[in-house]
Amino acid sequence: MGNELFADTVRVFFEKKGRIKYISHLDIVRCISRAIKRSGLPVWYTLGFNPHIYLTFALPLSLGFESECESMDFRLTEHKDPQEIIESLNRVFPEGLRVYKAVLAVTKPEAIRWAQYDIQLEYDCLSGEEVAKEFEAFCGQSCIETSKRTKKGEKTIDLKPLFSIQKLIGERNAVTMVMRAAAGTSLNINPTLVLNAFAAQSGRVPDWMKIVRTRILTEELEDFV
Amino acid sequence: MDVKKALERVLLQVQKPARYIGGELGSIVKSKDQVDVRFAFCFPDLYEVGMSHLGMKILYSLMNERQDVWCQRVFAPDTDMEKIMREKKIPLWGLESLEPIKDFDFIGFTLQYEMSYTAILNMLDLAGLPVKSCDRKALSPLVVAGGPCACNPEPIADFIDLFILGEGEEVNLELIDLYQKGKKEGWDKPRYLKEAAQIQGIYVPSFYDFSYNEDGTINKVTAREGAPEIVHKRIIKDLDKVYYPKNFVVPFIDTVHDRAMTEVLRGCIRGCRFCQAGFIYRPFREKEFETINQNAMDLCKNTGYDEVSLTSLSTSDYSKLEPLLDKMLPWTTEESVNIALPSLRVDNFSPRLMEQIAKVRKSGLTFAPEAGTQRLRDVINKNVSEQEVLNTCKTAFEGGYTSVKLYFMMGLPTETMEDIEGIVHLAQKVVDLYYSLPTKPKGKGVNVTVSCACFVPKPFTPFEFEPQDTRAQLQEKQRRLLDTVKSKKISIKYHDSITSFLEAVLARGDRRLCPVIETAWRNGGNLEGWNEHFEVQRWTNAAKECGVDLDFYALRRRGYEEVMPWDHLDYGVTKAFLIRENKLAYEDRPTPHCRMKCSGCGANRLLGGACFGE
Repeated sequence: MGNELFADTVRVFFEKKGRIKYISHLDIVRCISRAIKRSGLPVWYTLGFNPHIYLTFALPLSLGFESECESMDFRLTEHKDPQEIIESLNRVFPEGLRVYKAVLAVTKPEAIRWAQYDIQLEYDCLSGEEVAKEFEAFCGQSCIETSKRTKKGEKTIDLKPLFSIQKLIGERNAVTMVMRAAAGTSLNINPTLVLNAFAAQSGRVPDWMKIVRTRILTEELEDFV
Repeated sequence: MDVKKALERVLLQVQKPARYIGGELGSIVKSKDQVDVRFAFCFPDLYEVGMSHLGMKILYSLMNERQDVWCQRVFAPDTDMEKIMREKKIPLWGLESLEPIKDFDFIGFTLQYEMSYTAILNMLDLAGLPVKSCDRKALSPLVVAGGPCACNPEPIADFIDLFILGEGEEVNLELIDLYQKGKKEGWDKPRYLKEAAQIQGIYVPSFYDFSYNEDGTINKVTAREGAPEIVHKRIIKDLDKVYYPKNFVVPFIDTVHDRAMTEVLRGCIRGCRFCQAGFIYRPFREKEFETINQNAMDLCKNTGYDEVSLTSLSTSDYSKLEPLLDKMLPWTTEESVNIALPSLRVDNFSPRLMEQIAKVRKSGLTFAPEAGTQRLRDVINKNVSEQEVLNTCKTAFEGGYTSVKLYFMMGLPTETMEDIEGIVHLAQKVVDLYYSLPTKPKGKGVNVTVSCACFVPKPFTPFEFEPQDTRAQLQEKQRRLLDTVKSKKISIKYHDSITSFLEAVLARGDRRLCPVIETAWRNGGNLEGWNEHFEVQRWTNAAKECGVDLDFYALRRRGYEEVMPWDHLDYGVTKAFLIRENKLAYEDRPTPHCRMKCSGCGANRLLGGACFGE
């Protein structure tokens, strides 16, 4: 412990699925720190009075969302085979978290521009087809103003340039869609911001929804690696 | 009803959904079809409180070691979740399977404090079960309860099918075995309870009839259905060999004590006369230091916790504390694990121990002199002298501490205003001591916090006969306490006397209080350990409605010959011993601790020999 030098900064990709979606980002961070400790990997600790595992997340996930593409970086004091890293972590991760890829971190998280989501909305007493039509019209407006909470308080923003719909299907009592929304350190749009704006305008409030983050993309619309 | 589906729709509407969903590291998921018995271990308080409880962790792992048993955790939902559960008719579920607990075989409650009783009724109701034992006709779910408050279970006797007295590691498994036998042979509930009453440590309240005298005291208690006249509590004779978990469920969210815990010893050698735990957990038994060290290593390795506490009623009374710390310090330092030492006593805080503790990260320093004058400390048998308190504070200040917390009680038997003022005088001496030290850190002041609880007389203590101070008396003492403080370096905290009054009622109550508890619950009582949920009006109204006088239970002196509601339960210590100790208290005479001299409390009968060596 307390090695001053580290060999690699590792980036690990994992899924967050099932009931663990109800665990907030901060609690996940704590849980993963403990898991890494138990994994026996030669992980690098910060120096100082209260050493802890150096751990950063590219793009925190909202409470209630599932994901197929979470990533986090940590440092190892000696080189390890990616497969060994994956297996060591999966042995100690809780139900719902599963690592599928480990690489050396090269790209900076600042390169992230977009995130893509699979969204499913269910209505107890509405036709999915009709709601989908209304949603299409909603998206077709030239300007979609809504208020966003920021660290400096509420401010009004135009959502229009900040998201796009890749796919939209209305069937029976459900609407499914693929949404791409601005993401990253400078500007981050939570898909619920769009969905809430629609619900507020149309009065169509879903009785159940499921949101899964499926991809994280760079400026060039390439997967963040 | 599919709880899992129902939760999907509501969980994002409540605070801290992680409380309700399970799936934590170390939680044990089995297949329902592959187990024979499902046991819902219920803690009648919020997740954050319940998840800090060591007893639950032990019994959870112990039961789940068995392939045919699946123990699951259940906590009281907070008010926002409860509202949704009632609206959407979602029955209370086990965190591991998210299935309704009303379909389980056992529902077990741990009784940690009296103020949780209404939460028990509320949880049964949320589960979809009648709250009264007599209204639950089927064999399962059996509603059982254990823990410290089971030493006087009468106030909740109407709601619980059977109580488990003493330590649960063996007897819980015996109950499960008997249940499996009964299920195979098609027993009904009365048959099961009748057989269960034959197991040592099992108290089936419906088999005991109470008759009363004209003055309201108990005339006698009669056992029926072949149940024993006296029920003896269970203990683990060889503590060193008892099962201890190698893994804990590690919560996602912050809990009260979120760390690894090892158990160092059970019982207490001290015999402070107000302390129920000091008597009901007797006899004193220790684990070997190698075992404790191994337990700590296993837990830290499996949970990833970076803090481990050495838990007991009085960890500095552990005879091998120094060798234990010598064994633990190398690996805990190497792995950045912090050792927490709760419950240290001031009188055996040696410089060597101080030096060892200095190696671990500093947290607050707390002492419990409990009373402000030597006379009163002798009365309550808290064998700590002012000089010892000051010496320890001196060592601590020299070790770099600048704040000290001192715990006291008010309303103790024989207490006068002089004793109350003595609390502040002692705190002032600690302040003065700090400023007299040439080594004190430059520019840093001292902070002495005095925390003062109201005394609650408890069963199985030498003060079980004592009246509690009236609310007016306690309030006057609180005022005097505040008026005596002259220094800004001393801050005073005290508890509300009205909660303590109700604790006193419930702690020494009998089964005539059952309707009062039920009424208080029906009128909205729940989670009353939390001040914001407690409302005394609810209880006074309930008592009036049921024609019960609460003062009779809290404020009355009981004679030595009076039949107590718990006299038919045997926790080891004899009533003769308690009477002897009560008399000594009135003579201001302390009793030496068990290592110095056996005081003949009677608990060693459970061991079948002496507590120490010979």
